Amino acid sequence: MSCGVPGMEDAGCLFLFGYNPADAHPIVARRILRAKEKGAKIIVADPRVIETARIADIYLPLKIGSNIAFLNAFANVIVSEGMADKKFIEEHTTGFDEWWETIKNYTPENTAEITGIDPEQMRAAARMYATAEPSSIICWGMGVCQHHQNVEAVHTCAAIACISGQIGKPNSGVAPVRGQNNVQGACDMGALPNYFPGYQSVTDPAIKQKFADAWGVPVEKLSDHVGYKVSDVPTLIEQGKLHAFYNFGEDPVQTEPDAKHLTEQLAKLDLFICQDIFMTQSAALADVVLPATSWGEHEGTFTACDRTFQYFSAAVPPKGECRHDWEIIADLSTRMGYPMHYENAQDIWDTELRAMWPKAAGATYERMQGTGYAQWPVPTEDHPGSPDLFLGGQFSTPDGKARLKAHDFDTPTEMPDDEYPLVLCTVREVGHYSCRSMTGNCRTLSLLADEPGEIHINPEDAAARGIRDGEIVRAFSRRGETMSRACVDERTDKGTVYMTYQWWVGKCNNLTLHVVDTKSHTPEDKYSACQVEAVADQVWAERHLQELYHELKDRLAAEASAQDAEPVMA
Amino acid sequence: MEKHMAVCPYCGSGCKLNLLVENGKVVGAEPLNGLTNQGELCLKGLHGYDFINDTKILTPRIYHPMIRETKGAPLKRVSWDTALDFVAQKLTEIKEKYGPDSIMTTGSSRGAGNESNLAMQRFARACLGTNNIDNCART
Repeated sequence: MSCGVPGMEDAGCLFLFGYNPADAHPIVARRILRAKEKGAKIIVADPRVIETARIADIYLPLKIGSNIAFLNAFANVIVSEGMADKKFIEEHTTGFDEWWETIKNYTPENTAEITGIDPEQMRAAARMYATAEPSSIICWGMGVCQHHQNVEAVHTCAAIACISGQIGKPNSGVAPVRGQNNVQGACDMGALPNYFPGYQSVTDPAIKQKFADAWGVPVEKLSDHVGYKVSDVPTLIEQGKLHAFYNFGEDPVQTEPDAKHLTEQLAKLDLFICQDIFMTQSAALADVVLPATSWGEHEGTFTACDRTFQYFSAAVPPKGECRHDWEIIADLSTRMGYPMHYENAQDIWDTELRAMWPKAAGATYERMQGTGYAQWPVPTEDHPGSPDLFLGGQFSTPDGKARLKAHDFDTPTEMPDDEYPLVLCTVREVGHYSCRSMTGNCRTLSLLADEPGEIHINPEDAAARGIRDGEIVRAFSRRGETMSRACVDERTDKGTVYMTYQWWVGKCNNLTLHVVDTKSHTPEDKYSACQVEAVADQVWAERHLQELYHELKDRLAAEASAQDAEPVMA
Repeated sequence: MEKHMAVCPYCGSGCKLNLLVENGKVVGAEPLNGLTNQGELCLKGLHGYDFINDTKILTPRIYHPMIRETKGAPLKRVSWDTALDFVAQKLTEIKEKYGPDSIMTTGSSRGAGNESNLAMQRFARACLGTNNIDNCART
């Protein structure tokens, strides 16, 4: 995010594009409500009438899969109606003329059939966004990132902010609000195939030398090329390129698309390691299960979505033989002939991050005590931290200027047809989280919602299939099938059904298409063709659901029960 | 009752809270006046703590290292020494036979924290010799 979460409430306009804060980030949603109370204009573009649409000044119900057509037309209005910030474009961007060569071809009128948006409404929204004082913010979530043209949409959102001059000042710019509590942190820390910690390129010789020196290894030992992305794991196994997978704190069998194909491929590995706190569906397939301490049992830091480092303490001691993740990793490395040793979490933070990344050098554990925090860039200990990036239009490119990029619209990969006439879009819900191993083991949360989860369907689509609200239905695609509970919902657009990815029996990832875009390799989780049908015998369906649920829980408990026996000599 | 400061482990908002501990067990959560949450928490922040206590509602916590001695064999509990020697030997063999890029590692975008991600990326790069490390940013 180019701005901080607290600053969102001081913007003049918030444009939510493919972002549902009420479900994904309730506390950020509260900031948006407060922004509205303070007089900010709210624009929501989303295929569903999401909660924030109800308080929006303009709600644009765009057709799912039309993002680039929409954004290009939106950008076109800003320029063609004379609202572009010519001074900002001139001084702080490059490539405008080439960008316009593409954008000029998209108007609200000629894209209306693709986007489903009334051209006048689109024009009104573009005016509201571009002219808002003192600033506008474009907020997005997975409604941008998990589409086929995701990188293209991010380029275009950023370009819209630049050509409007709605970036480079406080509380402005772009807000891709990160989903998981430390996804910003995992990226900041170099858990990425192309970056060392702090977004320092793995292919830059000087950077490589710096890390080789710090780590005490010859520079030739560090790989000279970008690594694989986790979304490509099943394909890489199938191609014979991957033989071992050390999976740490993730449950890909639940969260990655096309679960059946992934499960088949994981079985082919020579070695599959899961380091986790729970016997997840992925851990149950592993050759080695390593028990780590849970949140609440260790200390450390997280990075929030707006680049805020915060410290968290341990509340209770480790259980059983659980060890801290970093202790396990360092011990393993030492056994493999590369000694790693740390005194504690702070030692890692100081040596591996603060000493290696100038923008984090001032983020000491001391300043993060209590409710303290440090928002990067924070280069020195007396630096206040940086809620806003790119102030004064200074961008992180070599010439300090933003590069404008435009792209032509392309349709999603798997368009609906007669056999699979509906679009499945995977989304979030308030009470459960990600693979659900954590929230599903919380008493209150599991009482509020349980298997098989819900499939939200428009009343017309439901009626056409004889589906009634609350009934169990069968959903299927070219990949597989699952059961879910129908929520007949007039806020759902016709032709699309929505499922959250928390449910183990009602697993939407049995249906999702595993296709990734060529640039970021992000799965197209927002758009898979599917079909939904009523189940005539609801008594059988309810019983079958319970049977499947018990079988699954029993199987995982049985796998975990191996730990109840005393250790054996291997 | 003890109170221990934490940051919520669910979404990316970064809400600060206290975990309430009684007799070594986490029994509650209360909001703190953090930068983002200003004394408020959502449903998950308020009620998302008791998985730590191994409620076994959905699936059990794991407390001991386990391995399958051969592919498809049942899991067996082993000592940490045995488990890590097993992994070290297998990874070394795979690296020698197929090269460092035949091994994939992940960070964790969840409760593990930044420090363990730092350790894992160093392990992948300096010990294994690969940039094959990624996290679930795409999910």
